[in-house]
Amino acid sequence: MAETALAPLPGRTTRRIRVATSVTIVVAVALAVLIVPPLAQLDQQAVDLSNKLHPPSWAHPFGTDDVGRDLLLRCVYGLRVSLLVGLVAALTATVIGTAIGALAGSFGGWPDRVVMRIVDTLSSIPHLLLGIFIVAMFRPGVWPVIISVALTHWISTARIVRSEVLSLRSRPFIDAAVSGGASRVRVIVRHLLPGVLPQAGLAAVLMVPHAMWHESALSFLGLGLPAHQASLGNLVQSARGSLLAGDWWPTLFPGLFLIIPTLALAGIAGAWRDRINPRRKSELML
Amino acid sequence: MTRDHAAAVLDVQNLSVRFRMRGGRDIAAVTGARFSVAPGECLALVGESGCGKSVLASALLGLLPANAQTTGSAVLGGDIDLLTAGERTLARTVRGRRIGLVPQSPAAHLTPVRTVRAQLEETLRELTGVRGAAAVREAAARASFPADHLDRYPHELSGGLAQRAATALALIGDAPLLLADEPTTGLDRDLVERTVDELRRHTDEGRALLIITHDLAAAERIADRVAVMYAGRIVEIADAGPFFGAPGPRHPYAKGLLDALPERDFAPIPGMPPELGALPDGCAFAARCTRADARCTTERPAFDDGLACHHGLTGRASHSLTKAAADA
Amino acid sequence: MLELTRITAGYDRRAPVVRDVSLIVGHGEAVGLLGPSGCGKSTLAKVAALLHRPDAGTMTLDGTVVRGWRHRAPQEQRTAVGVVFQQPRLSADPRLSLRELIAQPLRSTGRRREVPARVAELAPLVGLSAELLERRPHAVSDGQLQRACLARALVLRPGLLICDEMTAMLDASTTAALVAVVEAYRAESGAALLAVGHDRVLLERWCDRTVRWGERNAESVPLG
Repeated sequence: MAETALAPLPGRTTRRIRVATSVTIVVAVALAVLIVPPLAQLDQQAVDLSNKLHPPSWAHPFGTDDVGRDLLLRCVYGLRVSLLVGLVAALTATVIGTAIGALAGSFGGWPDRVVMRIVDTLSSIPHLLLGIFIVAMFRPGVWPVIISVALTHWISTARIVRSEVLSLRSRPFIDAAVSGGASRVRVIVRHLLPGVLPQAGLAAVLMVPHAMWHESALSFLGLGLPAHQASLGNLVQSARGSLLAGDWWPTLFPGLFLIIPTLALAGIAGAWRDRINPRRKSELML
Repeated sequence: MTRDHAAAVLDVQNLSVRFRMRGGRDIAAVTGARFSVAPGECLALVGESGCGKSVLASALLGLLPANAQTTGSAVLGGDIDLLTAGERTLARTVRGRRIGLVPQSPAAHLTPVRTVRAQLEETLRELTGVRGAAAVREAAARASFPADHLDRYPHELSGGLAQRAATALALIGDAPLLLADEPTTGLDRDLVERTVDELRRHTDEGRALLIITHDLAAAERIADRVAVMYAGRIVEIADAGPFFGAPGPRHPYAKGLLDALPERDFAPIPGMPPELGALPDGCAFAARCTRADARCTTERPAFDDGLACHHGLTGRASHSLTKAAADA
Repeated sequence: MLELTRITAGYDRRAPVVRDVSLIVGHGEAVGLLGPSGCGKSTLAKVAALLHRPDAGTMTLDGTVVRGWRHRAPQEQRTAVGVVFQQPRLSADPRLSLRELIAQPLRSTGRRREVPARVAELAPLVGLSAELLERRPHAVSDGQLQRACLARALVLRPGLLICDEMTAMLDASTTAALVAVVEAYRAESGAALLAVGHDRVLLERWCDRTVRWGERNAESVPLG
């Protein structure tokens, strides 16, 4: 037993590799979207009709699109926009969700019931549909997409935070704080919120890839960003025509640019969840 | 009462458990534990929370976390060393079949979504291959679990009945060794007494019982012998009669623990136990001991003649204590 | 000091856990409330600590009729009662060091300036070293954590201390040590005590008088 106990567990090693890969990809992506655009010699918008729909080559590693723009550069720009939309939308949704969940959970009673009925109603509507409805009310642009994604994604966070607050609220240490004279606000700010922040943060990270997909879906449907703006969804959308003609690269590369970073983000979030969620009792079981 | 290695159901020699913590720190949770339990005998392992007694129980069941390292031996029934047997062997032939576990919190030990009857049936089928309502009733009856409560779910049972249901499960495999880890925590005095009396009855049927508890009153009621643990070491093993009665315990810590009982002096031992990660060179109890001298702070007393102390209180060992020490 | 009259309380109005119970704790008196687990004595303790609003009945604290519970009770009233619960693990915010744990009531009541002095005064009384004070709950034993929880209950110098199964999880020596701390505080401050538990021997040794849950409940009359 002593020997086997000392050998590192196989599960732990694969998990480390997975996390390391995810972190590497995310760092690379962050560097790419921050550094490439200012350094790029080519203009991503540069139309070159003589060069249209070239397959991948040394000059254009990802090939060119149907108006001759360099796809690698378009993909980096697209990722930049999608990532920005994903991050801002996920953060906004998390702030809204945490606030609503924490208030509902700590007040309880009828405010909680009202809020949770609203949440139930909202979540019974498919959220892509709700998102389409929201973007349709604005002129196409980055902000309507962010608002649409944020307003449809706070619900799950609110649920998580509320249930977490409810379970914390009945813990004797909250009773002890109340007995020690802590005000309502102090109980929420000092004792309840810090307890739920790891969960809310995790929800936020998990939501970034989700929000990126959402942005892409909206853009793919032609409801998201204006067509000239290189978001990943727009790139895939505009490549549909050439795909039917047998030109695979304008679809494949933007698709990979969406899938790989989102998987990497989800990988990091998953590792984080493993750390905070089944809080192993203690390394030492005394 | 003769005890020798061959007859012992469980024979533990020099059992140590180290935890390797993050940052390279080592925690000596159990150091050099030596004891044995014979059929029909109850050994109570007592000590305050954090003294290492639960770690010892987990080591015997092969349930330590991956960062624990064990040395020594714990031979069950003369043929299998619990510390080196693999998880497969432990799961297939030991737990339930050769060691019955009476858990600390029975409510958590029972599956909440299944009735007591369903759980007894499953365990019976798994361990003995017997099916049928009669066998279930019989299994329940052995732990005095009332037959008319068999179709209840664990949350519908009182604490006492849940403890009996868990005990009934532990008894099914007819294991020669019962291991009870704090079986009375949180129970009322009456229930504590009923629970330990029932465990005693199972011991009298010829099983060996190792009960781990911080409840000295429960230990006094049930035990044939008492092992006192302090800071990861067994500091005294004694027959229960002289230990709880006259002439009393020999180790100053054991005496302090008994004197702290509300039915005795109700006086605490000054200070607190040392950290298991930073044990002193000498006797771990020296800092709290009124009898400690220079030798105690430099030289760790060996466990000899059932006692690990340079200044044993009653000096002389009774006849059976010599025996206990001999097999330890 | 504390007068509970015909209290009915619980978590579901149709099935109250505490029904028509009365109890009096005089000034400076130590009363032990004995009862089997699950009988509702902890709920009654929470009512008395102003942490659970009863469905019916009246409560008087130090001559004043209690009008609200939890946050509806004025801060001075809440802090006049110190509570220690059964399970130290659950009654300590896992993020706070023991020092912060003890200091919380002072911070809640705007007396943060007194923190260093008061903690330095209490820690040796409950037997916590400076090194232990800096640790967080997961790095100390149940007994050490309960010592900190007792210090937290005493930090505002309450006139009434409620110990709900304070020592049920602890060994004999720690039990005796914590009871000695409570008794030293009571001797010096004249505070009253309501100790709730199931250990008859312990409560009879500790308290001036003990009340059995079943008896009082059956009679439904004020005792004391």
